[in-house]
Amino acid sequence: MRRSNTVTSFMYYFLIMSVMLLIAALTDMPAAPVSAASPAFVRIIHASPAVGTADVFLDGNKLLSDFGFGTVTGYATIPPGPHKVQIALVGKGPGASAINETLSVSPGVAYTVAALGAQGSNLSLEVFIDNNQLTPGMSKVRFYHLSPGTGSVNATTNGQAIIQGLTYQQASSYVDVRPGSYTFDVNVSQPSTQLSVAATLAANTVTSEFAVGIFNGTPKIQFVSSQVPGIPGLPKTGSDPNPAAAPGSTPPSSTAGLWEILALLVVSSVALFTWRIVHPFGWMHNPSAEGKRR
Amino acid sequence: MLDKYYFSDQMTHEAPYLIPPGNEAAASTASRSAGRKSLRRDQAAFLIGIRSFRLSTAVALVTVALLLAFTLSACGQPRASAAQDVASSMTNHMARVTPQVQATWQVKAAPVRLSIPVIEVNAPIERVGITSTGDLAIPAQKPWEDAGWYASGPLPGELGSAVIDGHLDRPGGYPAVFWRLRDLHVGNEVVVVDTQGEMQHFRVTAIAYYAPQSAPIQEIFANQSGKYLNLITCAGDWVPSQHQTTLRLVVYTSLE
Repeated sequence: MRRSNTVTSFMYYFLIMSVMLLIAALTDMPAAPVSAASPAFVRIIHASPAVGTADVFLDGNKLLSDFGFGTVTGYATIPPGPHKVQIALVGKGPGASAINETLSVSPGVAYTVAALGAQGSNLSLEVFIDNNQLTPGMSKVRFYHLSPGTGSVNATTNGQAIIQGLTYQQASSYVDVRPGSYTFDVNVSQPSTQLSVAATLAANTVTSEFAVGIFNGTPKIQFVSSQVPGIPGLPKTGSDPNPAAAPGSTPPSSTAGLWEILALLVVSSVALFTWRIVHPFGWMHNPSAEGKRR
Repeated sequence: MLDKYYFSDQMTHEAPYLIPPGNEAAASTASRSAGRKSLRRDQAAFLIGIRSFRLSTAVALVTVALLLAFTLSACGQPRASAAQDVASSMTNHMARVTPQVQATWQVKAAPVRLSIPVIEVNAPIERVGITSTGDLAIPAQKPWEDAGWYASGPLPGELGSAVIDGHLDRPGGYPAVFWRLRDLHVGNEVVVVDTQGEMQHFRVTAIAYYAPQSAPIQEIFANQSGKYLNLITCAGDWVPSQHQTTLRLVVYTSLE
């Protein structure tokens, strides 16, 4: 019967639409996240007694001018991956660079890069990975030993040991101390001597103490300090969808209508199935019966 | 008037088809002949009927399978499901760094209202700090309606990364202030109004989802290469044992 053909066709379309709706509902994705990599964060400290005031080039482009000994920059963003770092005396250009190295950085990571070397023959970059996440209510402090020719160091404050056995080109771990004003007593093994450095450590900050220079040399040994605000962790901005205090409520959700779509699909499948039993296609009958009717 | 039809006893494992009434005797003959000679139009109709029958069965089975899959995988508040560590796009501008200078804040007005027209957000802004465990805190006065500006960071419009967070939803799953943050696209406008009525306009530059422990917090909170405002809310599935969701959504914007 033609009419049953039309109805059946309609039901098929209905079924197909329901399936498509279902797939669309289940695969409901958010607006497309843009996903290029996070930049790396790099700061540089000039700790090379053999290099005077310098220009710093990154991939052939000038990054810093008149970069003086004992200076530490803020964090610059650079793309992840390998980069050519060249340090040349100011005005000489990258072709005459005293330090020429490849620096590889990862997305989202913070680095301290130290330009080092007491002689022209052993200039280099030393790379440290930083962690600027705050310790709540405390102050983080880290020591970097960047003084060539100086032996291992210990640091204490008010009898409390802060770092021990730190050698040249090493950074200590981060130490949490109560916020306040401190004098750190730094004991040097070779030459056997003691230095002191004063620091005001604020809550929720991260302080870096760089030992640079040459003991009894030029530039003389000194501490360079850099303090940055500590960074918090991400907030907990979600809520319990099924708290004990709110039983039985049906929240609106991104899958609102999913059950309705499934029900639609089931109903339309059953309806089609049933219809087909009752009203098959007009031409779906035994050939011999067809012949007899005629 | 409905003709009465029944199924051939062959239907479950051979070509099933309908036998008109009065032709039961011919039914077994017909079923045996089903696989044999071709009768052109009737044979074609036959095959279409077979496909139709199997189609509706297949659809019914698929429905059941999807139903099962959905039921078994449902967990808490359904949300955006991107679960990998997707990082945001970055600016290609390198910072002109200068030797370290202690930042001095100019006296500027605090932000009081956040407007995101395309998703109809128009929310008061509270100041927030950090929790006892060192995370960014959430608004306390009106947790579900207000957004929270991280007051230890820069003001929106200053150099660096200003940060504003807000709840995605409230207990029981109903929407909160940042319910529709996931619907933002690159290029959408975000406006912050301060206590003086001054407006700062920002544009969305990137949208990313992170597991909270592996998010690029230096980029979210401490990017000094420009003037940024980053919006944070939660995403992913609720984990009852941790009392948090699996992901965070960060919308990066830049001052216009």
